[in-house]
Amino acid sequence: MLEQAATRVLTCIQCGKCTGSCPESGRTPFNVRMLVRKKQFQSAVDEALPWYCTSCGACTIRCPRDVKPSEVVIELRAKLVEDGDIPVALQKALENTFVQKNPWGRSRNKRADWAQKLDFEVPHVSETESKRLLFVCCIQAYDPRCMVIPVNVARLFKAGGLEFGILGEQEACCGNEIRRIGEAGLFEELEEENKAAFEEYGVKEIVALSPHCMNALKKEYGDTGIKVVHYTELLAPLVEEGAIKLPGSFGKKVIYHDPCFLGKQNGVFDEPRSILSAVPGLTLLEFSRAREVSLCCEGGGGRMFFEVEATYQRNAEVRVLDAVDKGAEIIATACPFCVMTLEDPATEKGLAVKELSEILTEVL
Amino acid sequence: MSYTLIVAEVRRGVFEERNLDSLGLGTLLGGEAVLLVPDGAYEAADKLVDAVVKIKAPEEVYLNPMNMGKILEAVFAARGKPDHILFTQSSSGMEAAAYAGLFGMPVITDVSGYDSQAGVFLKSYYSDKVFGQFKAAGAPAILTVRSGSFREFAAEKAAAAAAEAMEGAPSVEARTFVEYVEEEKADIDITKAEFLLSVGRGIGNQDEVAGYEELAGALKAVLSGSRPVIDKLWLPKARQVGTSGKTVKPKVYLAMGISGAFQHIAGMKDSDCIIAVNKDPGAPIFQYAHYGIIGDIHKVRDKLKELAKG
Amino acid sequence: MNILVFTKRVAATQEEELRITGEGQAVDLSKVPFKVNDWDNYSVEEAVRIVDKSGGSVTAISIGDAESDEVLRRAIAMGAKDGFLVETGDILNDPFTRGELIRSFIDKEKVPFDIILTGVQSEDDQFGAVGGVLAGLMGLPYASMVIGIDAVEKDHVIIRRELEGGLQEKVKVATPCVLSIQSGINEPRYVSIMGIRKASKVERKVFKADGYEKGSPKIELVKWVYPEKKGGATMLDGELADVCGQLLGILKEKGVYQ
Repeated sequence: MLEQAATRVLTCIQCGKCTGSCPESGRTPFNVRMLVRKKQFQSAVDEALPWYCTSCGACTIRCPRDVKPSEVVIELRAKLVEDGDIPVALQKALENTFVQKNPWGRSRNKRADWAQKLDFEVPHVSETESKRLLFVCCIQAYDPRCMVIPVNVARLFKAGGLEFGILGEQEACCGNEIRRIGEAGLFEELEEENKAAFEEYGVKEIVALSPHCMNALKKEYGDTGIKVVHYTELLAPLVEEGAIKLPGSFGKKVIYHDPCFLGKQNGVFDEPRSILSAVPGLTLLEFSRAREVSLCCEGGGGRMFFEVEATYQRNAEVRVLDAVDKGAEIIATACPFCVMTLEDPATEKGLAVKELSEILTEVL
Repeated sequence: MSYTLIVAEVRRGVFEERNLDSLGLGTLLGGEAVLLVPDGAYEAADKLVDAVVKIKAPEEVYLNPMNMGKILEAVFAARGKPDHILFTQSSSGMEAAAYAGLFGMPVITDVSGYDSQAGVFLKSYYSDKVFGQFKAAGAPAILTVRSGSFREFAAEKAAAAAAEAMEGAPSVEARTFVEYVEEEKADIDITKAEFLLSVGRGIGNQDEVAGYEELAGALKAVLSGSRPVIDKLWLPKARQVGTSGKTVKPKVYLAMGISGAFQHIAGMKDSDCIIAVNKDPGAPIFQYAHYGIIGDIHKVRDKLKELAKG
Repeated sequence: MNILVFTKRVAATQEEELRITGEGQAVDLSKVPFKVNDWDNYSVEEAVRIVDKSGGSVTAISIGDAESDEVLRRAIAMGAKDGFLVETGDILNDPFTRGELIRSFIDKEKVPFDIILTGVQSEDDQFGAVGGVLAGLMGLPYASMVIGIDAVEKDHVIIRRELEGGLQEKVKVATPCVLSIQSGINEPRYVSIMGIRKASKVERKVFKADGYEKGSPKIELVKWVYPEKKGGATMLDGELADVCGQLLGILKEKGVYQ
């Protein structure tokens, strides 16, 4: 692994496309092209720098030489992690994940409490025929603001006749952010635990609520033979075909924000849009920076768990101002981290942020 | 019945208010209550005990557990051994276990309840989630008393306390007091504060911050804030409480104008006492607070300042 | 410089709802995760920093069941040279008993030490007494609430103790001594999973606790009880002046405002 990485950076021609697409460029001291350069020469890197990366993946996607600069950042972080020299807030997130299998340190025993808000039972995936697993995600299992998402999606799936089950307390953090923080050992433990559960219960399909979870489960858990999708990929055909009826009306101007892990990294652009287009009364707007070039909200790369040193205008605020410019009343998105990072600045400017399932639930 | 020896905590000339809880427990235990105090001019609560033994040793000697061991020996020699020896649960009381080892006595710390019928002391476990009922298998037993637990039982005695003076023992070399070190005013570390006054977006605008700074000063609290306040640069980053800021566990967390977003709560929910002031009765922070006030935070701030100064 | 550091594996109960079983006989910890005692983490870090500067070695010792090996591996990953497990399946509630056991172990195994470190308290029982009891039993000078170790000399240390209200006192303590370390004394390094795996290669010696003296318990746990029910926030009602007065009263009771 290390040898591959070492030779990979040597192919970098320092073209600067990476830094050109980086959401942190120009507003923070972070310069990914420079970090790759330093890696080429094994030079010392200011230890505050690698932590700015939001793991949006734009650099890796655009690199003409397959250098994978986002992986270079993870390698730099991994060294800091092994030295033990990482921001205290990150330590807490990692230690919490080790003990309670979620970075918020909430009780593992309460991971399925969200399901109590439903008026029907959600079965354990082992009790289902389809062995379709709804992978809930840590922030959605515990954060009151995000808990509505699994509740909504459960209701929508039921309305659409889609069978599913959950792992409940046996679900451990997917590890997507953990790997990006550079804690490879902890990521492996989480991966092992989750995969063992998938195998034990004969899981055939995983539907992820968070694009981050989807990314890890689909691309970083090796060859499990299990199909992994984001929930919008299952909902879109149901909504288009009318299997889920939307009798209500949602007469608002809604602008759709592509989450990095759903959009540019995993190519899911159309399904969320087709869902929104099917909502009666909804006017769908587009950002100028949409789809592959969607502006990263800065919720990834572990940035939900710690503060970087620099003070600057956050991308989330820039995004909200863009939305205002386009005349939007609501910013819709399909990722809980985007919801969390966009909501504060949006509320200040008089806009609301809604996850897709929230809009659907209102017209159900 | 023997007597209860209450070792007073006196520091920098102040007879600490938490001594009242030791005195309260002393009253509940019944029998003679004897208060042990160091040399110096300060107000001791001598109406609440039967006898006051003033040791001719200055504070720094008295508060040093290596010396206190010798002082206790002298008291036992003069008066016999007590049934219980009470200390405050405090930075000073945290060293009382040394006497347990020295004299071979049972020790129960952070006592927050006493059932005289069953003869058991209540001691917190798992941060107050459960309590253990403990009995001491012998006397004297050393107890450290939780602040706020027994002071309502401290009762004034009919007669004034008998005053007694006692010679102090020479101080030992094994441990010596060097000096006091005041908290540095620059570079605040909010994780070390006992009392945090935390402000959120509800304060409205930057001009209001000064008023909260004054309140913090009047209450001797340290000012902290939630993420929106820091993002707007109303307070420096070092003051941020939350998942991506600092995690704090002060004795008191007074949150004003903070709604209680998940990431903020994660940074302060283990505070001993959370008091929330917010105009929104539905603010999530009330689910985590021990005490709540629904009201205009600026008005509460100004009234508190007025009362604190008066 | 030989430093002994005691480290404990404790139940991580902060987020859990605890159930008392039977008539108050025990607390059900079967579904509770475990972790290293936070204070001991600071202690180990401090010990490692001292020997990094002054030379010597750190020996981590844990009194507990076989699973306590976890915290020894962690200490080794942080820089301790050795890990000793004094294995017992018993839950020793009485700090006196723990102190006696430790004293007996150190004596019998002739474990060399210049400084013994404990955490101020453990997250589970929060007694905060083992360090003091041990010091008293061994006739060693003692200081608790140690928030800084400023100098380590041949025959003494200069430390700072954390008092109330942000005040500290600087104290000189002769060595050998026992110090109880307060959280916040340093910023402990992060210990990665790979680091802990590497530490597994260092042998952790296991000693059976019943090979040592622990005397008879000096306190008896009669039963467990729940705290009085407190439903949600107590809302303070009344006129502004009244409510603020009540607030100040609460602050006084908590000891943060006089």
